[in-house]
Amino acid sequence: MVEGVISLVQSLVNGLLTGGIYAMVGIGLSLVFGVMRVINFAHGEFLALGMYLTLWLFRATGLDPFLAIPIVVLAGGALGWVTNRVLVGPMASGPEKGYILMTVGIGLVISNGLLLGFGAHPQSIYTSYSTATFQLAGVSFSLPLTLSFAITVVVIAALYGMLNRTELGRAIRATAQNPAAAELQGIDTQRVRNAVFAIGVALASLAGVLLLPVLYVIPTVGSVFTRKAFVVTVLGGMGNVLGAIGGGLLLGVAESLGATYLSSGYRDAFGLIAFLLVLLLRPAGLFGRSQA
Amino acid sequence: MESRLRSLLSIGVILLLIGLYPAAFPRHLNLGISIVLFGALALAWDIVGGWAGQLSLGHAAFIGLGAYVMTLLLLNTGLAPWWGFLVALATAVGIALIWGWITFRLRGPYFTLSTIAVAEILRLVAVNWRQVTGGAQGLFIYDMPPFLGLDLFDRWVEFYLALGLLAIALLIVWWLSWSRFGYALQAIREDEDAAMAMGINPTRYKLAAFAISGGLTAAGGVLYAIFLSFFEPYGVLEMELSIELALMAIIGGTGTLYGPLLGAVLLEGAGDWLRITLGEANLLVYGLLMILIIRFAPTGVMGTARTLLRRQRRWLGVGAPARR
Repeated sequence: MVEGVISLVQSLVNGLLTGGIYAMVGIGLSLVFGVMRVINFAHGEFLALGMYLTLWLFRATGLDPFLAIPIVVLAGGALGWVTNRVLVGPMASGPEKGYILMTVGIGLVISNGLLLGFGAHPQSIYTSYSTATFQLAGVSFSLPLTLSFAITVVVIAALYGMLNRTELGRAIRATAQNPAAAELQGIDTQRVRNAVFAIGVALASLAGVLLLPVLYVIPTVGSVFTRKAFVVTVLGGMGNVLGAIGGGLLLGVAESLGATYLSSGYRDAFGLIAFLLVLLLRPAGLFGRSQA
Repeated sequence: MESRLRSLLSIGVILLLIGLYPAAFPRHLNLGISIVLFGALALAWDIVGGWAGQLSLGHAAFIGLGAYVMTLLLLNTGLAPWWGFLVALATAVGIALIWGWITFRLRGPYFTLSTIAVAEILRLVAVNWRQVTGGAQGLFIYDMPPFLGLDLFDRWVEFYLALGLLAIALLIVWWLSWSRFGYALQAIREDEDAAMAMGINPTRYKLAAFAISGGLTAAGGVLYAIFLSFFEPYGVLEMELSIELALMAIIGGTGTLYGPLLGAVLLEGAGDWLRITLGEANLLVYGLLMILIIRFAPTGVMGTARTLLRRQRRWLGVGAPARR
């Protein structure tokens, strides 16, 4: 009985810890959708890029993944800005098939570039703390995941503060609500969109760094996370940043419980059916009306 | 009326010319079959994706459905492929109607996401329902009865079967280009609310378009299974395949008679050439080409050609002024 409870709590804890990272992935996608009305089909590939950049830095210079965060996040942000400036932004005002296939193409280029650069075999890095855990009331916490969760909380809080308290945040919210009116108020909405896409890619790359110590990485890992990000944002409501947090935690817990109590290959199918149901019955997400 | 007949005539001429391909390039029959088959599949995709403007990234589900239904009936009950073909067609139309009925209440990107999810669910079923589908190992067609005395493993036979499918696809799209049904789809694509105000029931038209498209795609899936004679879920049900179909139509030009076919020629031809010359880097180059074309020629080859032609006419001072 007690063992059963502990294993339940254990899988809840594991789910919440990974769910935090999922939330960060989902927030990036949701923010971009809220402001640009663009679903970024390459979102997971940017995450994969973050993972491989961290891997490369670790191999080349021995830089610890957690210390590599500033470099990877800045590189991701710059890449996001340029990508939107040159490729995605000009498509965003056209019909949706244009930008959807544009982002699909970007994803294809990234994953195949990674394949050429790093090979198809699964890779991982081993740090002294990769498998380290600490115990709390009989439940064990993975050290890297807990640290990642803490970083996620800080980053999400900072993002939330930025959106609500700074000039850039105000401009982002204004652009999301009404681009034409925002422009009339003197907001350079093109710059705002670039900034938002940069933030989205930076968040994806950060999630990549945080996942590297606990995950094997292969060049196609991106598409897995693109799908996870879709699920998170649909659960939370497209464009709803706070909802994405709930969606991420929910997905993390559902996956963890599923892994403990359902061992069949249909696990992903249940997730997709839930995804479809929410999309059909509650298009604004589980947590209310959609807003940026 | 006259232009309608003229385009029918042009379809006949083009099919005739393609029909000469096996005699002209007997050593490149595989490439020819791929081009013709994917031309038909891209046209089928375009009925929903281009004419009705509902971007589906789940059409691989229909290819897989056609392939699996026909092959499983053949392997388990010995049902001949042409009867299996009819069963697959009926199943695909039925599934398209149910699938569309559920998801067509969603618009724009939401609809696209739902198509991905449905196709992915079908793929997971094919991978996991091992007793029936053979799971990830796939299915192998080792024997087929002759069709009207013709060997279905013969590449020449497969080529002309694919050509027949292409003919049907072209005729359907030709019909779309002048029929009331086609105009209704275009009205829905341009503005669904306005179409509704004009008395068009968008859901019914979209459903019909999806059923036609799905049935045609499943028919292509049956031929694809015969052509491959060995397939697995990752080959016939993956999202990459759905993307490829959409890409062909978009690169050639959506909502046009020959655009998707042209896209299939370009992509299959380029894909083949890239695979041979670049080896492992081919998908990278493929992706780069995709980005460049979508960025700089978003209306596809047909649309770009039309714009250039119009501009040239204006320079020369002949032809009607551009309609704006």
